[in-house]
Amino acid sequence: MTTELENSSAVNGSTVSGDASLSSAGNHTAPPPDKPVKRKRNLAGMPDPDAEVIALSPKTLMATNRFVCEICNKGFQRDQNLQLHRRGHNLPWKLKQRTSKEIRKRVYVCPEPSCVHHDPKRALGDLTGIKKHFCRKHGEKKWKCDQCSKKYAVQSDWKAHLKICGTREYKCDCGTLFSRRDSFITHRAFCDALAVETAKHPPEDEPTKEDEEPSPLLIESAPQSTSTASPPSPPTPLPLPPPPPQPAAAPALPVTSSVLCVAKTPDLPEIAKMNQDSIPVLDGPPQVVTGLTRSCNASSTNTGSTSSSVFASLFASSTASKSFQAQPQTSGFKDFIQTMSQPTQTPNLTLPSSVQEPVSLCLSTSQGTSIFRTAGQDLRQYAPPPQPTMSATALLQKAAQMGASASGASLLRGYGLERDDADVGASIGLGLGVGYDGRSGLQELMMGTPSVYGPKHATLDFLGLGMAVGGGTTNGLSALMTSIGGNLDVTPSFGHGGSGEFPGKDIGPQ
Amino acid sequence: MMQFTETLPSPPPLHQTTKPCQNFTPMNPNQTHRTRPWPGFPAPNKALGTFGDANCMEQLLVRCANAIESNDATLSQQILWVLNNIAPSDGDSNQRLTCGFLRALIARAAKTGTCKMLTAALSNSNITIQTHKFSIIELASFVDLTPWHRFGFTAANAAILEAIDGYSTVHIIDLSLTHCMQIPTLIDAMAGKLSDGPPLVKLTIAGATEDVPPMLDLSYDELGVKLVNFARSRNIILEFNVIPSTSLDGFSSLIEHLKIQTLVHGHETHEALIINCHMMLHYIPEETTTTTPFSFEDSTPRALFLKQIRSLNPTLVVLVDEDADFTSNNLVCRLRSAFNYLWIPYDIVDTFLPKGSKQRQWYEADICWKIENVIAQEGSHRIERLEPRGRWVQRMRNTGFRGVGFGEDIVGEVKGMLDEHAAGWGLKKEEDDLVLTWKGHNVVFATAWVPT
Repeated sequence: MTTELENSSAVNGSTVSGDASLSSAGNHTAPPPDKPVKRKRNLAGMPDPDAEVIALSPKTLMATNRFVCEICNKGFQRDQNLQLHRRGHNLPWKLKQRTSKEIRKRVYVCPEPSCVHHDPKRALGDLTGIKKHFCRKHGEKKWKCDQCSKKYAVQSDWKAHLKICGTREYKCDCGTLFSRRDSFITHRAFCDALAVETAKHPPEDEPTKEDEEPSPLLIESAPQSTSTASPPSPPTPLPLPPPPPQPAAAPALPVTSSVLCVAKTPDLPEIAKMNQDSIPVLDGPPQVVTGLTRSCNASSTNTGSTSSSVFASLFASSTASKSFQAQPQTSGFKDFIQTMSQPTQTPNLTLPSSVQEPVSLCLSTSQGTSIFRTAGQDLRQYAPPPQPTMSATALLQKAAQMGASASGASLLRGYGLERDDADVGASIGLGLGVGYDGRSGLQELMMGTPSVYGPKHATLDFLGLGMAVGGGTTNGLSALMTSIGGNLDVTPSFGHGGSGEFPGKDIGPQ
Repeated sequence: MMQFTETLPSPPPLHQTTKPCQNFTPMNPNQTHRTRPWPGFPAPNKALGTFGDANCMEQLLVRCANAIESNDATLSQQILWVLNNIAPSDGDSNQRLTCGFLRALIARAAKTGTCKMLTAALSNSNITIQTHKFSIIELASFVDLTPWHRFGFTAANAAILEAIDGYSTVHIIDLSLTHCMQIPTLIDAMAGKLSDGPPLVKLTIAGATEDVPPMLDLSYDELGVKLVNFARSRNIILEFNVIPSTSLDGFSSLIEHLKIQTLVHGHETHEALIINCHMMLHYIPEETTTTTPFSFEDSTPRALFLKQIRSLNPTLVVLVDEDADFTSNNLVCRLRSAFNYLWIPYDIVDTFLPKGSKQRQWYEADICWKIENVIAQEGSHRIERLEPRGRWVQRMRNTGFRGVGFGEDIVGEVKGMLDEHAAGWGLKKEEDDLVLTWKGHNVVFATAWVPT
């Protein structure tokens, strides 16, 4: 490794090209002792001790137009350029004459005190160099490659990278590309391509190949590129190269190339592909779930209606079992609220309800159809024949399983859906409050205070907020929301049982 | 407090709906005169929109946890209902985070018997989160996606490399959550650095018996074959050893094995002993694990484990773990703590994985698993017992270790690695230690220790 470094720096440093070939040939023995520039590459900046050391402040260093023309305000980086520019204005101009004194070399130090190049002994030879150095090492990296997210402080570096981004990659024999060495190494270690390869080739020379990081593309793929496409051959018998002298390693050697290798690459296109693949995966019951959700979303125009989920039907069913004081429904938001809080005459949610006004908030347009039925109509496969004989527990169980297996849909949503789907008699006590005020249902729902919670006086003060109760509905939950949200739009008069109409008058004929 | 505002410019519509919602944008006060489906309707989105706020979600979760703990079925179900509506599993990062907690709370309620109905429904089904079993290649690219693990790998590898300078034999005990994913780069770095002759590397790992994500669908024996093979390609001789042991008893069988080895082979001065702990030690039970307090403070498996590794007189111990506190016995405390930490993985996922991608599902399922473990499990089943950096530092010092810190070179290397990732990642130094940050919040810490 060290020899290589020396080698390359010798090439860089020497002015006579003949020297370079000479040195690389005789490199391993003794290089000519009188080599003038024999230094390591990483020690940049070892200037002539006679050179004039210039220390610029970061501001001056980064200033792009220090020399400004008084006529047109155009700025220049160098005085010489300004002088040439002044000529165009017919102004007096003066180009500095090079005196023998000024031939003296200038070197520049980095303004950053903690930097090695702050030391005059390690100053850099030209202004552009120190500028770029300062940007790269101590500046903000504001140029980002959209492809690989690498960031650069110097625009020209970034542009140079853009040209080669995606081409200079590490390539495993299995065909996977990597932009970072670490990623490549980790993949490489576990990829079966390595097992195949090491079985064919003695490993001795690999480490040296590895050292040549600047040309990573070639790593390990050069000699045996033909083997890349072939799938891992069956367990390669191992007359393995003997270099490891220790017997300890021997027992572990058998290289069984399993078939894992056909790699999932982390490449972006690949991910995108996965993405697409995963969308249509849903079928069967999960599709029902998404179908419902979708149809709800499509037909609803506000968030309140999203509660077509589990709890909607959960509550509905519990309500059905308990509240028999069914009142004539006057609320326009029939379907939804009905399912939510108003069992009315029939506990069977999917049967036509007794609502008179078919005003629906785009939820469903056909009278007497619950939101769930709508969904069922949209999706044929949604409506399996009701199975009234199924026990509630069994249904719940099934529902929960569906919920769990429905990818993307929340457990609860799937749960509730299935629950409704089966048209269960809804006699499972949730221990929930019973909603009896269908009129206020929607408003409260919208405000996050479903009236189904209302009558449960036990919960009135559940937040310790001591809200007063009025109109038969409690503000318990709304109080919670208020206390949390802070700026909830809940007015005291809102959502009480007395008012049967929505603030929005044209919601439906009342 | 958490800065969720960066990801939540405005409360989004609760469910990702389509056209109707786009016409109807109550978020924007300038559009009040536009025709809306329901003129005059009191902008429900606006009111409900406040629920999208992370603070609100946290409060709701806390209320719900309290309700479950006090066995208030009615209230807990009410809040679960609300949460379910404001936190779809495919929503923004906060909504998904909340959804994860919501599921965990339901699981807990089912366990504690709070919500009878849910209990009945859930106890007979498997609502266990579907965590993915990674192939080794999948796992390699998965771990590579963010600095979450790479940070620890980079820092630890650099520190190990410095520590083993001059040793011809290196014994690495790798206690890592990521199934040796760190080892290839370490071997590679060793191969590049160690110049004099092929070194011998012994690698001993704990064949953990718990199923903790990320899970691997490859046996450790097969894994070992691959690593040995890879090491040979780098001219390094690797001995691979799996000692079946469990974090539940502080890897006692592993420790036992190591002690016997030392007895048999004597203390080899030319062998460097490295103990690399990558997000693994927090699975060892600590003081709060049982209700009956341990008789002595230091007789918990966690304290005991540290004492044991101290007695092995290691050359270097690297301890990398997530910087959070999940140890409280109080559910609400734990919930708050977890909520205020686990938003990070949800937040970062948007920067590197497209919505709906498989990898994203795997990634989020693993977080959900963690949430579920912290929230729904108790006792010895609750194994996600993170402790913050400060407490680990105290433990290490009490056990007779001294922090050695990370040099400027290592810091530079880690910074270089972070530059390859999204802009939100950062690095800071706390005392001697390195801390990975996301948008300024601590994520993972890395510490390095030698015996005093």
